[in-house]
Amino acid sequence: MTFSEFRDILFKLALEKGCESAEVYASSSEGFSVTVLDSEINKYSVEQTNGLNLRVLVNGRNGYAYTEVFEDPEELVRHAIDNAAVIESTDVMPMQGACEYPEIPDVTDPLGAFDEKEKIELARRLEKDTLAFDSRVTRCDQYNSVNTSVIKTHIHNTLGLAADSEQSISYVIVNPILREGEEEHMGFGFKFRPSPDDIPGVIKESVENALLEFNASPVDSGEYRILLRNDAAADLIASFFSMFSAESVQKGLSLLNGKLGETIAAPCVSIVDDPFLADNPRAFDGEGVPSEKTDVIKDGVLASYLYNLKTALKDGVKSTSNAGRPSVASPVGIAPSNFYITAGEKSFDELKKELGSGLIITELSGLHAGLNPVSGDFSLIAKGQLVENGEAVRSVDQITCAGNFLTLMHDIEAVGNDIRWSFGGGFGRVGSPCLLIKKVVVSGK
Amino acid sequence: MVKSSIVSAVLDEALKTGGDFSELYLQDTESNSMRMINGVVETANYEREAGAGVRVLKGTKSAYAYSVDTSEAALIACARAAASAFNGMKDFEAKSICVDRIGRSWAKQPFAEIGNSDRVELLRRATEAAKNQSDEITQTIAAYMDFDHRTWVYNSEGLHAEDRRPRTRLAVQAVAMANGEAQTGSVSPGYGVGFEAYKDKIDVEAVGREAAKTAVTMLHAPECPAGKVPVVIDGGFGGVILHEACVHGLEATSVGRGSSVFCGKLGQQIASPIVNAVDDGTLPGEWGSMHFDDEGNPAQRNLLIENGILKTYLVDRLGSRLMDHPMTGSSRRENYTYAPTSRMTNTFFAPGSDDEEEMIRTMGEGLFAAKMGGGSVNPLTGEFNFAVSEAYWVRDGKILCPVRGATLIGKGAEVLMKIDRIGRRMWMAPGMCGSLSGSIPTNVGQPRIRVSEIVVGGKGGAL
Repeated sequence: MTFSEFRDILFKLALEKGCESAEVYASSSEGFSVTVLDSEINKYSVEQTNGLNLRVLVNGRNGYAYTEVFEDPEELVRHAIDNAAVIESTDVMPMQGACEYPEIPDVTDPLGAFDEKEKIELARRLEKDTLAFDSRVTRCDQYNSVNTSVIKTHIHNTLGLAADSEQSISYVIVNPILREGEEEHMGFGFKFRPSPDDIPGVIKESVENALLEFNASPVDSGEYRILLRNDAAADLIASFFSMFSAESVQKGLSLLNGKLGETIAAPCVSIVDDPFLADNPRAFDGEGVPSEKTDVIKDGVLASYLYNLKTALKDGVKSTSNAGRPSVASPVGIAPSNFYITAGEKSFDELKKELGSGLIITELSGLHAGLNPVSGDFSLIAKGQLVENGEAVRSVDQITCAGNFLTLMHDIEAVGNDIRWSFGGGFGRVGSPCLLIKKVVVSGK
Repeated sequence: MVKSSIVSAVLDEALKTGGDFSELYLQDTESNSMRMINGVVETANYEREAGAGVRVLKGTKSAYAYSVDTSEAALIACARAAASAFNGMKDFEAKSICVDRIGRSWAKQPFAEIGNSDRVELLRRATEAAKNQSDEITQTIAAYMDFDHRTWVYNSEGLHAEDRRPRTRLAVQAVAMANGEAQTGSVSPGYGVGFEAYKDKIDVEAVGREAAKTAVTMLHAPECPAGKVPVVIDGGFGGVILHEACVHGLEATSVGRGSSVFCGKLGQQIASPIVNAVDDGTLPGEWGSMHFDDEGNPAQRNLLIENGILKTYLVDRLGSRLMDHPMTGSSRRENYTYAPTSRMTNTFFAPGSDDEEEMIRTMGEGLFAAKMGGGSVNPLTGEFNFAVSEAYWVRDGKILCPVRGATLIGKGAEVLMKIDRIGRRMWMAPGMCGSLSGSIPTNVGQPRIRVSEIVVGGKGGAL
C-alpha cells in the first residue's frame, strides 16, 4: 500500500472507531554511505527506510502505534486505541490543525547532488589526504566515511494539518589514527552538509585533535579555572537539555522548576532556540506547529522553557514549536531546533590569554553515564591542556571534571565567539562557543 | 519467511560482481512500551520494525544494502545495490540451503497474550513500592518494555537460521529532593523471556524499593573526595568494568584493524592471575542470550581470560577473515539497518575464592562502589570511565558514609592487572550496549572485586 492509501484507511478506521482525531507522522529516507580504507572500498551501504507512527486522540488522551509494514491498518488502529485507553494523565493532548508555515530558505547540501561515483571518489580523497596530512597518521579507522541521505517527513491529521518536508543531509567523518613511539591516538572530525572545499579543514581539525593527546599526563587533583572548548561545551549543554524542557519541569524533574524570571546564569550567558538559522532551518516542529524563535536565557535570566502543544496548554502559554520525537516511532516529546549559547566577543585565543593559568578542556566523555540531568551533577572523564601564563604548556589526560550544571552556569566568566554544534546535526542540535569558567573540581594525580 | 526460490535468487544476484559470500537477513520485531510518571501512565506505545538487508563480502571488504520493503523486487534491488560495490566477474555460486537451524523462544508467557492492564499493574506496583519507601521520594519514573524479536539468516554457504528472542525490562528511577537538591536511584532488571519474568525472576516491589533507597541514601551523602585509592566494586552491574575496560578491546571491530591495546596479546598475561572472564550467549533466558547469532552461527560460551591469560577474541565472519581467527558466535546487530559485527552477549568475571567482607576490611581507605552506572571506553587507548550511582567511603576498613558523584577512570590494561580480590558469588545485570552495529541488549556481571588503586573523580573535600 502507498503512504497516502494507508493514511486514508487509518484515518477512516480511527474515526469510525470513535477517535476524536488521528494523525500520522511518517518519515522515509534513502541513504548511502561509503568508507574507503587502504585505497579500497571497505564498507559500502545503501539504505532505504520508511516508517509511520499513528497517533489517535480518544477521550482527550493520545495513543500511539508505529509500523514499517503498511499492511494491516485495523491492527495498527487497534494498538493505538488500546494504548490511548490506558493513559491516566489528565493533561489535554491537542493536535495542530491546518495552518500556514513561514518561508524558510533552501539549504545547500553540495554532496546531495553527487552521484555514487563522485561520493566514492570523495571517500578515497578523504583517506588519501588524511594520510598525507601528517607523517604520524598511520591509517584511518572505520568511521572515516562519506554519508548522504534524503529524508521526507509528512505530518498529516484529520484536523486538516498537512506538513511536509524534504531534507538533504550529508556528512563526512574523518577518523585518523596517529602513532608516535609507542603511543597511538585517534582523531575525529565531522562536518554536516560539507562542500568539497570544507574537507581540508575537517582533516586538519581531526589530526590536530589527535596530536593534542600525545605525551599527556594527569594534573594534581584540585580546583581549576577552565576554558571549555566549544565542542566540549556543546556536548555538555546538549546533555543537560532536558532541564529546559517544559515536560521535565512540569513533572518536577528539572531544577529550573519555578525559576522563570530568576537569574540562573552569569549575565554574559544567553541561550536561544532558533529554528530559522540559515544552515539548518525548519518550517515546523514534530507536531506540525509553525516555527518560532525562543529566548530561553536572556542575560542570565531564565526567560522561557521549551514547549510542545500539550505542555504549553498546561502552562497557559503558546507552544514554542519544540515538539520533537527522538525517532519516528517515539511519542511526541520536546526537542531543540537550533539551541545554543549566543556568541560573545572574544576569540578562543584571547580567552586562553585571559585564563592565564588553568586548564583547557577539549573533550568530555561518558556523558550518557557521568551526569544527571535531574540533579545537575556531573563527573566526567576529560582531556585537555595545562595552561600557564596564557600558553598551553602540555597535554592532560586521565582526569575527571566534576561540578553541577547550575553552579557552572553562574560560574561562566566569559563566552567566546566561536559557536560549534554537537554531532548529530541535521534535525535538532545544540551549540556553544568556548566558555571561560571560574572553577571545576579536577581529580587527577 | 521468504520462499526458498527468492532466497536463492537474492543470494545469487548478490554474487554477480565477484563477491565470495552473500547473506540475506530478515527481521520482524514487535514491541510495547509504557511510562508511568509519578504514578500516572503518561505514554503507551506499540512498534513494529521490519525489513531486510543483503550483505556481500569479497575478501575483507563488505557491502550492505537494506530496505524496509521485503518484496522479491526490493530484495533483488538490495542484492544489486550491495553487489554494485564490486566490479568483478561472477566467481562463486550460492549453494542451495542445506543447513536449517531454528531457535525457539524462551518465553513461557508470550507478550501477545498480555494486555495493557497487566503492564500498567506492574508499573503501579513498582511505583507504589518506591513512593512508600520514604517521604523524601518526590518523583518516580517507571518504564516497561517488551520485545518479540524474530530473525532469519540465509547465506550463500547453504545456511538457514531462524531465531526468536523475547526480552522484557522494567526500569524504575526514583528522585529524592530536599533543599533544592535532587538525587536519583535507578534499578532496571531485564531478561530474555516472556512476561513470566515478573513472576519467576523479578521481584517487582523490590525494584521500586531499591531505586528509592539509593536516591535517599545519595541525598544525604556528601560529595565524593577525588583521588587515587583502592576500590571495591560490588557484583552484578559492577561487571560493566569488564565490559568497558577490557572486552570492547577484544572485539574484532577493534582488534581486526589493529585498533586495540589487546592486539597481539593472545596467550599473554593481560590480567591478574586470579581473573577468569567469560562471554556466554547460550545462557537460556538471559538478557544478552540468543540461540544463533546474527550470522546464523550457534551462540557460544567463550572463555576470554583464564587465570589472567588472554584466550580468545570475539570474532564475526569479517573479523575472522581479517584476523585469521575462528568465529566465536558473537555476530550481532540491532536491526536490519546495520550489517552485523562482533559484539558481546552475557559478559562476566567468573566467581573467585575471596571473602566478600575481608576485601573491605583490609582495604584501608578507599571507595566501595555498591552500584555502578554506565560507562564508556576508547578501545584504541583503553581509557575508560564509569559513573558510580551508589558509593560509600571506607576508612580503616570500615564504611564511613555514603558519597555521591563518584566517577572511576583509568586504562583497561592497567586496571585488569590491579584486581587483587574476586568474591565467590557472581550475578548479572542488563544493559544496552552501543557500537558499530547499533544498540543491543547485553548482560554484564561479576562477583564483588577489589582493585588495588584507581582514580576516583568527585568534587568533595576531605571527609
